[in-house]
Amino acid sequence: MQEQKGSSSSSISTLSIVQMNNVSASYDSKDYVLKNIKMSITRGTNYAIVGQSGSGKSTLLKLINGMMNPSQGKIMVDYKIPNTSDKKFKPFMHKIGYIPQNLGLIKNSTVLENVLIGALPRVSGFNSFFKKFSDLEIDNAKKILKQVGLQGKAERQVYMLSGGEKRRVAIARALVQKPEIILADEIVSELDHVTAREIMDILAEAQATTKLTAIMVHHDLQLALEYADRVAVIKEGEKILEIGVEGDKIVDFQSGNYTQREILEMFSNESEE
Amino acid sequence: MNQKNNLIIGLIIAGVVVMSVNVDADPRDFAEGLPNIGIMLQEITEVDSSLFVTAFWSMLETIEMAFIGTVVGVAISLPLSLLAARNLNNKFVYVPIRALLAAIRTFPSILWAILFVIIVGLGPFAGVLAIIMYTVGFIAKLQYEAIEAIDADPMDAVGAIGVSKLQLIRFVVLPESASHLLSQILYIFDYNIRQTSILGLVGAGGIGFYIINYIKFFEYGKAAVFMLVVLATVLIIEWVSVRVRDKYIVKSQRGMQVKS
Ligand SMILES: Nc1ncnc2c1ncn2[C@@H]1O[C@H](COP(=O)(O)OP(=O)(O)OP(=O)(O)O)[C@@H](O)[C@H]1O
Ligand SMILES: [Mg+2]
Repeated sequence: MQEQKGSSSSSISTLSIVQMNNVSASYDSKDYVLKNIKMSITRGTNYAIVGQSGSGKSTLLKLINGMMNPSQGKIMVDYKIPNTSDKKFKPFMHKIGYIPQNLGLIKNSTVLENVLIGALPRVSGFNSFFKKFSDLEIDNAKKILKQVGLQGKAERQVYMLSGGEKRRVAIARALVQKPEIILADEIVSELDHVTAREIMDILAEAQATTKLTAIMVHHDLQLALEYADRVAVIKEGEKILEIGVEGDKIVDFQSGNYTQREILEMFSNESEE
Repeated sequence: MNQKNNLIIGLIIAGVVVMSVNVDADPRDFAEGLPNIGIMLQEITEVDSSLFVTAFWSMLETIEMAFIGTVVGVAISLPLSLLAARNLNNKFVYVPIRALLAAIRTFPSILWAILFVIIVGLGPFAGVLAIIMYTVGFIAKLQYEAIEAIDADPMDAVGAIGVSKLQLIRFVVLPESASHLLSQILYIFDYNIRQTSILGLVGAGGIGFYIINYIKFFEYGKAAVFMLVVLATVLIIEWVSVRVRDKYIVKSQRGMQVKS
């Protein structure tokens, strides 16, 4: 059993929310995009995934939310096999806030409408057809908009927002789901450092108050190490490291100990390739 | 290669000449007949001005027929297009619906009008039914193509939440395709007014009924008055729909171009 930062000494059943055993995945059955991934993500942690472009990070997220299925190996998410076309998995889909690389917002709808989409699993078909939400849901959505720093922007059309504001909308939509997991694909990569940290802080704050697990793909290893309990480094579809900060050192939980400098150099060499 | 192109072009030209002889299309007839326009224009000035009132009312009937046909046709085609979209359904649903729509599209509106005159008798109702059929066949196809073209990202992101298909349609599909749907509806309304103007030729109501009758009795001036009213109406509708398009559609499409 690994011991992880941030996890309380609770029973087995709350320990690992995502479990991957030797998972391989491919899009067109020829080449594996992901190879032999082993991964165990503890409930409530902030887990980061970094790696070069094309290394398979987005694919990894799609495996976790069940949009894709592995060609080999087994994934368990909250002790269920994730599969978006499986009715049995549907209740848990409501609990996964997925923020794809280009956010997937409805550009011609308002901020509030976009955010309320996260509440749809709790709304009847009839009411949702008329876009009718209870006062409770609307209050909650507005509270979350405030939490992400979008107060006063509820009625704005999404296409009018800045890049950073759009990311806040996507986070708010995920938070309105009352999620157990948030999967966020490079949502702060294109932002300046200040805004990126503001957005990471919003998520960290949400994690502090709920048992939320955040699995985030990052571009910047420095930022990932700063916010995440664990950072998985993916290279050409393989998980080559799983690191975390302990004191002033960076530890690889997969194979041994490294100093901070060595790892950062290793990684920056990779990104320059 | 060039040689071959020349040969093809030569064959096409030869084809046009031969076929023109076959269908009796003689440019000289056109040149000789041109002065008839002058006679017709002169006849217009001799027409009793009260005829314009009749023309106006029959144009109004035509617009009403086109309006009803467009609204009902669009109301029918929207659910059909949702069922025909490949990104929302499996093939057991979309294949039969597409086949049905293709079958509907094989008839031009004038043939539908003839069919409905046989079924419900002479008059505007037959014309309205014909316009509905034409609108369904045509608009449902344009709409399912617009629906299939919407961005996959919001579909994936919202689909991954596990919402129902109706919720997905209401919150993603409709907002994302609304501007296309609206511009198609404007287009078909415009087009339906022109179509409805000729359905009177087969007795299915509208202004075409007058036009064909005056022509039968060689009252070209009177026929021309009605044709002028059609022309003016189409121009006005065109102008209005350009304004609507600019105001609502262009704006929101600009919004859609702002990629996140
Ligand atoms: N829909 C798809 N069909 C076929 N191949 C795909 C598809 N999506 C991704 N791939 C391929 O899978 C590999 C991994 O893609 P993925 O999107 O997971 O990379 P990534 O690490 O997220 O890259 P980036 O940092 O650029 O977003 C790439 O080689 C890509 O070409
Ligand atoms: Mg990616």
